[in-house]
Amino acid sequence: MKRRALGIIAFVLLAVFILLPLLQVVQLSFTSTLPREDVPKGTLTWLNYINVFRTERLVDSLINSTIYVTLNVCLTLAVALPAAYGFARYRFTGDRAAFFALLAFRVTPPVVLSLPVFLLFAQVDLINTPVGVALVHCVFNVPIAIWILESFIVSVPREFDETAFLDGHSTPSFLLRHLVPAIAPGIGAAAFFCFMFSWVEVVFARTLTITDGKPITTAISSLFGFRTDIGLVMAMTTLSLIPGLVMIWFVRHHISRGFMIRV
Amino acid sequence: MAAGADRKLTGVQVHDNKAWFFVLPAAALLCFVGLIPLVINGWHSFFDIFTLDQKYWVGGEWYVEILGEGRFYESLGRSLLFSTCVIAVQFPLGLLIALSLPREGWVRSLGLILLAVPLVVPWNMIPSIWLALIDPETGYLGRAMAWSGVPFDYKFTAIHTWILLVLMDTWHWVGLVAILACSGLSGIAPSYYQAAAIDQASRWQVFRHIELPKLTAVMLMALLLRFMDSFMIYVEAFGINAGGPSDATTFLSLDLGEEIKAFNYGPAAARSVVHFVISLMIVWVFWRAMTARRDAEVTP
Repeated sequence: MKRRALGIIAFVLLAVFILLPLLQVVQLSFTSTLPREDVPKGTLTWLNYINVFRTERLVDSLINSTIYVTLNVCLTLAVALPAAYGFARYRFTGDRAAFFALLAFRVTPPVVLSLPVFLLFAQVDLINTPVGVALVHCVFNVPIAIWILESFIVSVPREFDETAFLDGHSTPSFLLRHLVPAIAPGIGAAAFFCFMFSWVEVVFARTLTITDGKPITTAISSLFGFRTDIGLVMAMTTLSLIPGLVMIWFVRHHISRGFMIRV
Repeated sequence: MAAGADRKLTGVQVHDNKAWFFVLPAAALLCFVGLIPLVINGWHSFFDIFTLDQKYWVGGEWYVEILGEGRFYESLGRSLLFSTCVIAVQFPLGLLIALSLPREGWVRSLGLILLAVPLVVPWNMIPSIWLALIDPETGYLGRAMAWSGVPFDYKFTAIHTWILLVLMDTWHWVGLVAILACSGLSGIAPSYYQAAAIDQASRWQVFRHIELPKLTAVMLMALLLRFMDSFMIYVEAFGINAGGPSDATTFLSLDLGEEIKAFNYGPAAARSVVHFVISLMIVWVFWRAMTARRDAEVTP
């Protein structure tokens, strides 16, 4: 009984620790934080949200972020699925070196790569477009997706592949029509982690969008100035949390499974 | 699904170099966005660059300059100390959370959702959120501290800036540690726990002999991710106090970020190379540790 009570208290403390900062955000987002003629400072109001949707660049940034994150998740899954299948089912010359390279790419700090990536992308016209950001976010997302998918593929017995091949499926058709449905939770978990790391990333997204295609993170930073409307900032932050929360809800049963790292 | 399963033991793998065809698209993509930029960086680090058409060979001059100044080692020391603090707080806490969560049911789902929420907050917003929280006039925590008379001055007192940074980073990332630990634990069959219950094993014995072995692989990975991400922290740390007070929170990446912002291409490239080499050495150590673990498992 005593242990149970202790557990409940600990859980409540954890919930408060995690939710308190977010509660602050939501509360400020509904508060008028600048002195205005018609709305006094400190009143409860929808004004901040109305202002977000009245400001074209803020709405654009929400759209831009959504585009590059969606592109990135699709691209990452498309290249990671076959790679994960290869790692799960075969041993090949250089597979350990490839694993080491994946580790190295995952942990290379974006600040280190931002300048040369900018120079390279300037040469091939990938600046100021969501495509460029989606491509560069693959540096850290492809390794993550490969690890997650691999751990789900390994739990599918090999006979499953062989039966499909005996039925005359080609490799691409097997991957798409048989393997993907069989590891759907894994695809969901991988998509969640890719979404998350791409959505929250700042350095690449900011460096690669100078005049156009600006992401949410840049739009929010640009709101800070001499007289920062902190309510507007918090309204924008609250909006930026919604897609992530929706994603978490969909994959809630799968995010804690399969993060198997094999050497 | 077992976190520690080993590829030599799975018995479903065939040696076939044609498997490279499966890996090729991913490898090509990573070459383009990862390897080529790194090579460009390495090349530029030997030049003094005014514009990209106007550059002068300076050899290893930038490296001598960076590695010769005390500032670099001070930043390196601060980054190491920050990573150490972060890991010392987040690993015990994350493990404790993962071990205490029920193994199924809605409490577990709710717990995992809670843990994942801070992970989806855009990084540059995290400092703003915490600064709003500790604001003495409008923030919940700030007002509580002002009311109870606890002095807190993150702007000018170094230790307070550090506390704020570690607290903020823990809020942001402890969920990842806990989620990864949960994923390691989810590979343990219920029969193990039943056997332990029959043997009347203590909680510590269950942890030491059943849970810990299953956790090692995934926790090593969590350690690598958390170590590197905190070691190279940039956006969040800059947002709190821009490296202050008087450089007390100037970490490695902040120096590099400043150089990039100032368009010092040559020195910035050299500094990037130095940082990359440091990350590579750390990854190497972790890789060796993981390999050693695997070999120990394979040979009985």
